[in-house]
Formats: sequence, structure tokens, C-alpha cells
Amino acid sequence: MVRFFLWFLVLQAALFGLELTPWAQQWFVVPWTNTLAAISAGIVKLFDPQVLAHGKVLKSASNGFAVSIEAGCNGVEATIVLVAAVLAFPASWRRKLAGLAIGIVAVQGLNIVRVISLFYLGQWNFSVFEWAHLYVWQALIMLDVLVVWLLWVRTLPRPEADLPAVAA
Amino acid sequence: MPSGSFARFVLLVFAWLACALFVWWFASALLAWPIALLAELVSRLALPDLVQAVEQHGDKITFVTSLHAANATVATAAGGLVSDDIDVRHFTFGLPLLAALILAARAPHRGRNLLIGYAVLLPFQTWGVIAEFLEDIAVGFGPGVASQTGFSAWQREAIAFAYQFGALILPTVVPAVVWVLMHRRLLEDFARRRAV
Repeated sequence: MVRFFLWFLVLQAALFGLELTPWAQQWFVVPWTNTLAAISAGIVKLFDPQVLAHGKVLKSASNGFAVSIEAGCNGVEATIVLVAAVLAFPASWRRKLAGLAIGIVAVQGLNIVRVISLFYLGQWNFSVFEWAHLYVWQALIMLDVLVVWLLWVRTLPRPEADLPAVAA
Repeated sequence: MPSGSFARFVLLVFAWLACALFVWWFASALLAWPIALLAELVSRLALPDLVQAVEQHGDKITFVTSLHAANATVATAAGGLVSDDIDVRHFTFGLPLLAALILAARAPHRGRNLLIGYAVLLPFQTWGVIAEFLEDIAVGFGPGVASQTGFSAWQREAIAFAYQFGALILPTVVPAVVWVLMHRRLLEDFARRRAV
């Protein structure tokens, strides 16, 4: 457990530091954030055709309200935490990769729900938007990461030491 | 923890999170008091040339600096000195998450774990508050204020990293880590069972 936590902290700090570099911002964070805005707009357009995406901004053409997806709201940090937790936990690489693939989809999927919900909360009541944006969704996304990680841990095979002894 | 118990645990976390957020919101000024004390202690020890006073005003911690305001957009205390209000809630919202996780796990010694968890979070919350203050004076308030701080380029980079880490990672990750550490047996038991 100690080894897991040390690896988790090291990986998390390293990945977060990497995320902040201009290279990662230019080639990964900004393109991903723009894609997130486009995906969110694409989903919202199914029931609200007056919504547009410009770069990282999601905007309503009908009333002019817009939200800009900034650091902390693009799900990159939550994904970093999940990646660090999965990579640090003892498991085979096949299971780690499977956990990462499913886990990242789960985290980013909920993050799209966050972006869309905030877009409509902001049009309805700005105080509620602020509360949901700054506190509620932050906690829910981390809870999502924790639940996804716990479910992944649950799928791992038993450690050898815990298997029942077999008579030789 | 069987599958049904896990789903129940998650539902309980949601229910407790709603309650805990409500309590935290109204008690946040009280809960911030130790952070103000820690921020003052750190400022006296590490930033005596920059900070003249640290004051708590409800949910806000105000750093009164020895820096002179370079433009009218910077808040000033008496004598035209720069002052910076930091909203403590931006760094303490992980506390209701930790409380919800502890209460939903229904492990023994929940009250003790809540108190320990609250105490463990305090230094990390203080980190966020001080890092935001430093980021404000080193970058946010503009070159007129930043030039008075004497920070070198690498110090400004370190402050920017500390601020981002303290604002984006620590507030939610530390509660989750503390909860996992407090419930290692639950996790080990959990890891031994298979979902299917």
C-alpha cells in the first residue's frame, strides 16, 4: 500500500507537471478542450440547435450566453489522477490498459455532462452555476474517479497469497 | 463488499455529500479559522518581508502586504499597500467529500476519522490559500507589483506550479487519498473479491 501511494504521488505530480508545459498545452490540452466543446455542442444540438462551439467556448446563439472550458473543467486533471492511480496499483499491463481505456471514457463522459449542465445552469441562475461549477461538480468528478478506480480494483484477480492452498 | 453493497455505498456517498455540502457552506467561516492561523504562521516564518498581516473576514483570508499598489485595479489597505482577499472555500470543498466518504463507508470510529481527516486536510488547504496569494502578487497583480516581490523567474514558475497544483489537484485528491488510507482494510477486502 505504501509503495502504491508513493508511485501514485510521483506519477500524479509528474503528469501534472507535464500537462503544464507549453508543449503539452499546445499539442494535447488545447486540442482536447476544443474537442470537448465540439462534442458537448454536438450533443446539445440534438435538442437545442441554437448552440455553437468556437474553440473552447460553448455559446447559445439565442441569448448570447457562453461558457469557456478552462483548466480544471476539461477533465484532464481528473484523468491524470485516474491514470496515476491505475498505473501505480499492482496489476498486469493488460488490465491496466483496459482499466485506463474504460476509466477515461467514464471520467470524460461525466465531464461532458458537467459541461452541458453548467451551460444550462448558467442561463438559468448564475449563483447556482457558480456553486455547481466551483464546488459540486469538482467533488462529483473526483468521486467518479474514485468509484471507477474502486470498480477496476474489484475486477482484478486475487493476489496469489490469498488463493486457497492446493494440495501437492 | 458485495456488488449490492458497493452500489449502496455510492448512493450513501451522494446522500451524505448533499448534507455535508450544506453544513460546510454554512460553517465554512468557522472551519477556515485554523487555516487563517496556519497562513499567518507560514507568512511570519517564510514571508516576513512581504506580508504585514493576515486577517480572516468570514470566508475570506486577507493578506496585507508591504508592497505598494502600482495601479488602481489592485485592492489596497491603509497607506496604499496591496491587500489580497482569498476565498477559502475554493480550497476547502474537499472536506464535505471526505465527510461523505467516511460516513458512507460506515466503518468504526467515524467521528474520530472525521476529526483526523479535517486536521490532515488543513495544511493542504493552507497550501492552496498561500499559493494563490503568491500567484497574485507574483503574476496576477501585474508587473508593477511583481517587480517589488523580488521573485526570480524560476521562483515565479514554482509559484505558478504550486498554485495550479493547490487549486486543481489537492482540494479533491487529498480527501480521496486520506479516505483510502483510513479504509485500507476495506480496500484490501475489496481487492480480494471479484465483481463477477
